[in-house]
Amino acid sequence: MKQLVLSLFGLLFTLQTQAQYKISGTVSDAAGRPLVGATVTVKELPTLGAVADTEGRYKIELPDKNTYTLCASFVGYESVSEKIAADQSGPLNFRLAERSTMLDQVVVTATRTPKLLKDVPIVTRVISEADIKQVDATHVGDLLQSELPGIEFSYSMNQQVSLNMSGFGGNSVLFLVDGERLAGETLDNVDYSRLNMDNVGRIEIVKGAVSSLYGSNAIGGVVNIISRESREPWSINLNGRYGAHNEQRYGGSVGFNQGRFNSMTNVQYTSIDAIDLSKGTDNAEVGDYSTIYGNSSFNVKERLIVTAAEGLRFTARAGYFFRERDASESIRDRYRSFSGGLKGNWAITQSDDLELSYAFDQYDKSDYLVPTSRDVRDYSNVQHTLRTLYNHTFSGKHILTVGGDYLRDYLMSYQFTDNGSHTQHTADAFAQFDWNPHRRFNLIAGLRFDHFSAANLSHLSPKLGVMYKVANCSLRASYAGGFRAPTLKEMYMDFYMGNIFMIYGNPELKAESSHNFSLSAEYLKGQHNFTVTGFYNLVDNRITTVWIQELEGQIYTTMSPLQVAGAEANASGRYACGISWRVSYAYTREMIKRGQPLLSSTRPHAATARLAYNKQWKNYGLNVSLSGRWLSRVTCDVYTEVTSYEETVRQTYPGYTIWKLSLTQHLWRGMDLTLAVDNLFNYRPDYYYSNSPTTIGTTCSVGLSLNIEQFFKNK
Amino acid sequence: MNCKQAGLFLSGATLLLSLPACNGIFEDIYDMPTSETGNEYGFIVVDEKTRRGRIYIDATDYTEWHYIDLQGKRVTTTPVGDAAPETWDFAIHRYDTKTNGAEVWESSASVFDDLPALGIVSEEQWIADEWTTDRITVDMSQMMDGVILYAEDYWNPCLSRWLDVNTSTMPPVYTLSGKIYLLRLNNGTYAALRLTNFMNDAAIKGYMTIDYLYPVE
Repeated sequence: MKQLVLSLFGLLFTLQTQAQYKISGTVSDAAGRPLVGATVTVKELPTLGAVADTEGRYKIELPDKNTYTLCASFVGYESVSEKIAADQSGPLNFRLAERSTMLDQVVVTATRTPKLLKDVPIVTRVISEADIKQVDATHVGDLLQSELPGIEFSYSMNQQVSLNMSGFGGNSVLFLVDGERLAGETLDNVDYSRLNMDNVGRIEIVKGAVSSLYGSNAIGGVVNIISRESREPWSINLNGRYGAHNEQRYGGSVGFNQGRFNSMTNVQYTSIDAIDLSKGTDNAEVGDYSTIYGNSSFNVKERLIVTAAEGLRFTARAGYFFRERDASESIRDRYRSFSGGLKGNWAITQSDDLELSYAFDQYDKSDYLVPTSRDVRDYSNVQHTLRTLYNHTFSGKHILTVGGDYLRDYLMSYQFTDNGSHTQHTADAFAQFDWNPHRRFNLIAGLRFDHFSAANLSHLSPKLGVMYKVANCSLRASYAGGFRAPTLKEMYMDFYMGNIFMIYGNPELKAESSHNFSLSAEYLKGQHNFTVTGFYNLVDNRITTVWIQELEGQIYTTMSPLQVAGAEANASGRYACGISWRVSYAYTREMIKRGQPLLSSTRPHAATARLAYNKQWKNYGLNVSLSGRWLSRVTCDVYTEVTSYEETVRQTYPGYTIWKLSLTQHLWRGMDLTLAVDNLFNYRPDYYYSNSPTTIGTTCSVGLSLNIEQFFKNK
Repeated sequence: MNCKQAGLFLSGATLLLSLPACNGIFEDIYDMPTSETGNEYGFIVVDEKTRRGRIYIDATDYTEWHYIDLQGKRVTTTPVGDAAPETWDFAIHRYDTKTNGAEVWESSASVFDDLPALGIVSEEQWIADEWTTDRITVDMSQMMDGVILYAEDYWNPCLSRWLDVNTSTMPPVYTLSGKIYLLRLNNGTYAALRLTNFMNDAAIKGYMTIDYLYPVE
């Protein structure tokens, strides 16, 4: 703010100065997008400066032809200084890189109100747009594994993707897109391939229970994918990527930001051939799988924001997703989703704002039968959600948040009797108070009540968090309750599994519940950031299937409590020369009642690391990134027989390390060329377990991105 | 201004709430499963003029043989181990086949019109049934634990090639040969068979759709 005032003052001052010559140019981010409101100051003349306009342009009139240093700065970005010579005549353009610490980033997930990351009392990890670009990920799984230790995507039965995040499975981690849930699941996991990285502004991850704000499923954490708004008057992007196994990705976006309207349309197509894993190992017995199915996907989404009046904003969105998996020559698995929503945000006064929204999401599965060319649907999950959220700010700093949601959940499934359907209604109400009595101290408390009609089940989820800032250090502590209500599938399943045995649902199931404690310390010094977090979870009434001999099949029931404790450490740095680095480590320990088998294969140690060099010149930019992940070996129990849960044996899965080197060159205006080498050190598993990486050795990829609107800009 | 804002907001809210709750959209893009359009088994298509037709059999049960009488256009189902009916030409159990003293030749044709003349098949190319002890699966309930129970019975290795089941990977890979098989029946007549599908619309395997030409002239 101080800089802004100085700059405005400088602008006024320049009007009265006898101008000797003018210097002008643009201020943009690393992708070339204008940074509206960025300030450009003159080091030698503190009273002189300018503010970038809606297209990122600035202009300064200098008093004489001496050598000066111009400094461009913007909240959340690294400042850049450039010396100008006395005979400087052309434009001077600045490209600013995002700050690695992200502490000035506004986040919403942990509190459901916009707050600066440094002021959020609940530990939140943000993956920025710049991070996403560096990883060159197609969907959320690639990205999360690369950025966060303790997250592992592996395969469960029939090559369905399965998540483990610090000991919690896919049904205990809630994935949101702009705060909205996703319909549908397969073997307890949502379809992660729906979550492509096209048009993602940032991803916020809150680990631990967050049911006091988000209700069921938020036991192990919440991953919220936040879309990017169009910032430029108009924009067109075209991009493509080609890699090993004929992996192809093509995308495009069209956006505009004119007057009251802001729109962004994205289209993406991906495909990859089947991967023959026998080429990756010398072992005659290749593994749990010998071939990874090929697949293709198509994803289109549109978001339109209309500012109807001052303080009143409507957002409309619609999307379609299609994925086809070549499961065999006779059957192709098809997955579709149709989604849409309307949201109204009303800033009633400076202290009061109200949000009301409706969301629709439908997720279908069908089998395309090649012999008959018939596409027959056997699964459909349809969710209608109504939400309301109200915030009131007391004395400009204490925030009361109250809200409520209604969800109609319809599920038709081949796993129900006669391909039948079930419907349930859920309703909740919640309140949270964010108390900021002192600039160093913050306390947040919340409570949520949820009711589920199918199980006639009600649940209360509390939360309490405190933050204390001292010098460069922020200390956080929190307790949160989490829960997961039994799903319609778990209550009503009646499925003849592979014509071999039955799996029965159980309408008497209770909700899974958890207690989560977390302690963290964050230290910021110069360009370095250090964070250490410790956590403990007690999870009870975990829902699983067990074999019942009398039924000659499996039935859903609850199992022994599980304790999950661990620690995470993260260190990062970024320097003016363009070098940045980040190292993260996670330790997870699961404890179960003595004598009970520990069936989950959570790796106790995991780490990720990245070393990058990013430099922008006048007409050329370079970004080199070396990133790696290391996962330790893990030993767990597995049942010796599927049809009898009597005996277990110990199974050890090997650890591994995978590195990736990527080079992105900003060649001309909006043209970026990315070359990447994946699995740099040619790791090849001896045996492909379901949690082994599906690599057959070192592979390369090449990608090109064109921001067309930048071709037409005056530079 | 506030009244205008409130009016706009309430209009938006009303629009949201008036949207109909339903069980989904675009149902029409899918094909209706046959279980909802009516199921028929046996000789579901018979064209006396062209001598062609289609047989549809629910062979999902591991404990049953389905005996097909091409002359009488009849399918008889009996438990594995029980006696066969008096008149039959070939039989199927899941994807397995056996014949009533017939022999089988695998042609390279995929449509009946491309069948070569019968005379080109040499005598040694006709393949008869063989006695097996590890082909006819009757109990898969412990398959996941590596225990499979078999019945001893005849099995035709040639006709059974109409569907290849590769169990070296999980889940198994199913590949239809798409070829037409000629049967030299024990009454001296010939039949041509082609397996066109082995699933129903719910992708449940074991529903066999067989196109036939009988008698072949």
